[in-house]
Amino acid sequence: MRETSRLRVLGTTGIALALALFLGACKQDYPNTTFVPHSEYGREIDFLWDRLLLLGTIVFVLIEGALIYVMIRYRRRETDERPPQTHGNVIIEVIWTLIPAFILLFIAIPTVRTIFTTQAKVAAGALQIEVIGHQWWWEFRYPEYGVTTANEIYLPVGRTVNFKLNSNDVIHSFWIPQLGGKRDVVTNRTNYIWLTPDSTMQPSVWNGFCAEYCGASHAKMKFRVFTVKPDQFASWVEHQRGPAVFGATASTGAAGTATTPAGGQPRESGVTSAGGAAPAVPRPPGSTIPGADTVAAPAPNAVLAGNRQPAAGSPGYIYPREQLPEYAKPHTPIPGNVTFTKGLTGNAARGQQVYSSAACIGCHTIAGNPMSVGNVGPNLTHFGSRSTIGAGSFPNSPAYLALWIKNARAMKPDILMPTLGKNEYDPVLKTRVTTGGLDDQQIADIVAYLSSLK
Amino acid sequence: MATTAAPARPTIHPTYEPGKSGVWAWLTTVDHKRIGMLYLMTALSFFVVGGIEAVIIRIQLQAPNQHVVSAEFYNQLFTMHGTTMIFLVIMPLSAAFFNFLIPLQIGARDVAFPRLNAFSYWVYLFGGLFITLPIFFQVAPNGGWFGYAPLTTRPYSPGINIDFWVMGLQILGISSLAAAFNFITTIINLRAPGMTLMRMPMFTWMSFVVQFLLILAFPVITIALVFLLFDRFFGTQFYEVAAGADPLLWQHLFWIFGHPEVYILVLPAFGLVSEVLPTYSRKPLFGYPVMVYSGILIGVLGFGVWAHHMFAVGMGAIADSFFALATMLIGIPTGVKIFNWMATMAQGSIRFTTSMKFAIGLVALFTIGGISGVMHSSPPADLQQTDSYFIVAHFHYVLFGGSIMGIFAGIYHYVPKMTGRLMDEKLGNWHFWLTFIGMNLTFFPMHFAGMLGMPRRIYTYDSGQGWDTFNLMSSIGSYILVVASVIFFHNFFRSRKRGEIAGPNPWHAGTLEWSLPSPVPEYNFATVPTVTSRYPLWEGSEVDLESARINSQEGKTAADLGIILPYPTIKPLIVAAGIIVMFTGLITTKVLVFLGAAIIVGSLYSWLLSPLEPEHH
Repeated sequence: MRETSRLRVLGTTGIALALALFLGACKQDYPNTTFVPHSEYGREIDFLWDRLLLLGTIVFVLIEGALIYVMIRYRRRETDERPPQTHGNVIIEVIWTLIPAFILLFIAIPTVRTIFTTQAKVAAGALQIEVIGHQWWWEFRYPEYGVTTANEIYLPVGRTVNFKLNSNDVIHSFWIPQLGGKRDVVTNRTNYIWLTPDSTMQPSVWNGFCAEYCGASHAKMKFRVFTVKPDQFASWVEHQRGPAVFGATASTGAAGTATTPAGGQPRESGVTSAGGAAPAVPRPPGSTIPGADTVAAPAPNAVLAGNRQPAAGSPGYIYPREQLPEYAKPHTPIPGNVTFTKGLTGNAARGQQVYSSAACIGCHTIAGNPMSVGNVGPNLTHFGSRSTIGAGSFPNSPAYLALWIKNARAMKPDILMPTLGKNEYDPVLKTRVTTGGLDDQQIADIVAYLSSLK
Repeated sequence: MATTAAPARPTIHPTYEPGKSGVWAWLTTVDHKRIGMLYLMTALSFFVVGGIEAVIIRIQLQAPNQHVVSAEFYNQLFTMHGTTMIFLVIMPLSAAFFNFLIPLQIGARDVAFPRLNAFSYWVYLFGGLFITLPIFFQVAPNGGWFGYAPLTTRPYSPGINIDFWVMGLQILGISSLAAAFNFITTIINLRAPGMTLMRMPMFTWMSFVVQFLLILAFPVITIALVFLLFDRFFGTQFYEVAAGADPLLWQHLFWIFGHPEVYILVLPAFGLVSEVLPTYSRKPLFGYPVMVYSGILIGVLGFGVWAHHMFAVGMGAIADSFFALATMLIGIPTGVKIFNWMATMAQGSIRFTTSMKFAIGLVALFTIGGISGVMHSSPPADLQQTDSYFIVAHFHYVLFGGSIMGIFAGIYHYVPKMTGRLMDEKLGNWHFWLTFIGMNLTFFPMHFAGMLGMPRRIYTYDSGQGWDTFNLMSSIGSYILVVASVIFFHNFFRSRKRGEIAGPNPWHAGTLEWSLPSPVPEYNFATVPTVTSRYPLWEGSEVDLESARINSQEGKTAADLGIILPYPTIKPLIVAAGIIVMFTGLITTKVLVFLGAAIIVGSLYSWLLSPLEPEHH
């Protein structure tokens, strides 16, 4: 019959296509693949996956094969006789109840074993990293080194790392596909996940994601993981634990034309506080969550930094920018209505003054800058050493940074960081920044300052 | 003899007495068949809405870094796509069949509580509109269909969006609960003589199981939603994390409802397929008792596996192991069903009608969803899969490959019984093949996107992540599904006017409903049948065939036969409207709360004091 032969062709094509897709998926041009794990934890999962895939494929082929056979063999023929009216067969039914149960044993036993090995207490001497989820960025703390950073983690290969997961607001989920499974970051709870990056790896960068829907910019809550040699890690830590090297100047590249922002007619709104010295914070999650309530309490590492000499001159190890693979570089297009004056040059020293008297300090900490002790937003102490801004949304280059400071809310939906540029339209407050906004030169200066914080 | 076709008839005899065909007749109807058709038409309308939402999602994700819609609107779209398809499409499509079929299959003249049945429908319609309309003003719910707290609490979702979701689901729950009690009572009390439980058609059996799932699962979501409603409106702190709440409270409550909900969505389709496969194989269902027991077992086990949705939240090794093993156990009765369906077809004489193709499609595609389901029953493996596109692929194989395919099989099979006219087989063939191809093209690549690291619910993704090709394939597949759906709707509406006349039993089926004229007269059975077999028209004794002969006669009105039918009434609709007014008051002005309550009390009072039907003489 026509239908059955078509089904046969379709089935064959489908299986061939699936196989081709699968083989394709094993190649390494899939930068976030779970099939090529780079930690023992990832391999434990992958072992289970391989077995599930093998058994699943066998079951799939047998069932679909039997189905196709039955359809062809028992299709209605010209001699349309009434078929035997069988109602069942106890022995057969018992057999095909037992077969799946038997197959499941081969999944159940290694599953339970793996649950207990991967959730065992972490071995002593593991590197502790505190992960704090925020809408929509990641805060990482290395308590034994007094380092706080954002949206980037450096890990030494071969050393077990134990992530301690907490959330500052809603539920997030911490996921580095190439290094292992995910773990939810749950408010008012502490979760742990530990893994050991393979010691044989060359320095590499992996993408990390938030996997639990957490609001408007869930898609833009990414992070980068750098697995580096132990000595490179030591160098990175040594530098990160002190205040930034500061003093050089940087120029702000052109990020657009000097045209008026295309956000529509300027509005003569009565709201004047937007973008002023006190940024409007629309989403106070309550007063008992650590890190969310006060902007006055000094961050721990700011205190710590006071006792430490700046690591003069030599910025420690940073994963080389020019070696960043394509998958680790953001390609998000810039929204059309955010533009910046061409050819402005920023002055870092001036930038530090502007920064220290602007809204920035209400939310950000920069060790070594006594004014800047806010802890609502990411710690910016070594901002210049980071590869992205906006939790993996844009490359950390002066051009993007200028636009970001000018109107972050137009670049990433619904975020807490206010629109700061003068006359910019704030899409959250739905009003223009009329007073207290920063002009492009001031922003260029801040960009120079922040970029110099290696 | 009863398996031979009745000759095609030139016209359809009037089933309803004159004056019962206007809009008012539909607004006041208490006839289970009409209510079933109202459910069907309404749910198909919402299917269009949910489908458009899905297509916009696929347009946005067709290529990396696209901004066809904003992040905020995208989040509303995926929330409403899930909410719509689950609560406004698949559940009510199943309800359409519960309403239309259960009384016919068990030999009853109506459901136990006809007016409550009408009430269920109107609450569903109004609740559905309440939760759907905000998307047209871009203020739709945006917390996902699972509405995880604390994201859905006031501090993190200050807008009106989540209010629509909380109240809409609460309203829809009223409809489902009222209907469930109605059907349980109907099935227990209104079966015809000889229709023992173990002679009931498999669709009625699976529906019976589903009603118990509904009455056990919906109170849990009701409580969860009441907590959230109180948090949002009255300042309680069940989920307020600032006050120290544990967000897992919501997750446990939600999934204790949410997992049985999966079986609420898929068991009716299993039931439909269990009617369709024997009919077109000309063989009784293989292993009927095992099919009944496996259905019950799936329902029972379905309450013990909820936390497999939460393997990533950190429940600890013991809980993870327990829920993993319980989940794997469900694979066994589900596998048995698939084997028994194939055994039903084996040695049969298979006729590949459109309905049969969709039924076989369910067997083929649900198998894939079942296999991927076992893959994430293993918690460590699941930690790479959960909240990725792999899960999106999995549950679409279950809900599209399972529920929707089964419901389409049911629609092609039963539309002739509803309207008296056949749907076109040639168009049906196109509909099936485009659906089958489009479905696989849409959802199979998502397995790969997920295992290659693509998280769910992201409104856009960056290029260079290795996901572009799979997303493009999925989007193209979804466009094919649009074409398939257009063909279906064309066929569906065309058949109402120009379809071939069906006759009582166009498919030579064996169960009781096929002994009645098509469309079925208002009173269903001229004489209440006596049943001696599971397939009275195939293997019934003389008694069965005699009732079938009488009941298949056309053209008689209820008055001719002296059958007393319930009065039509508008009161259930007014009570339902009162509920909507009351809930609307919470987000507008409190006056409406009191007005709504007054409408409910007044119309209920009047409803309960008015007689159901004329007095018997």
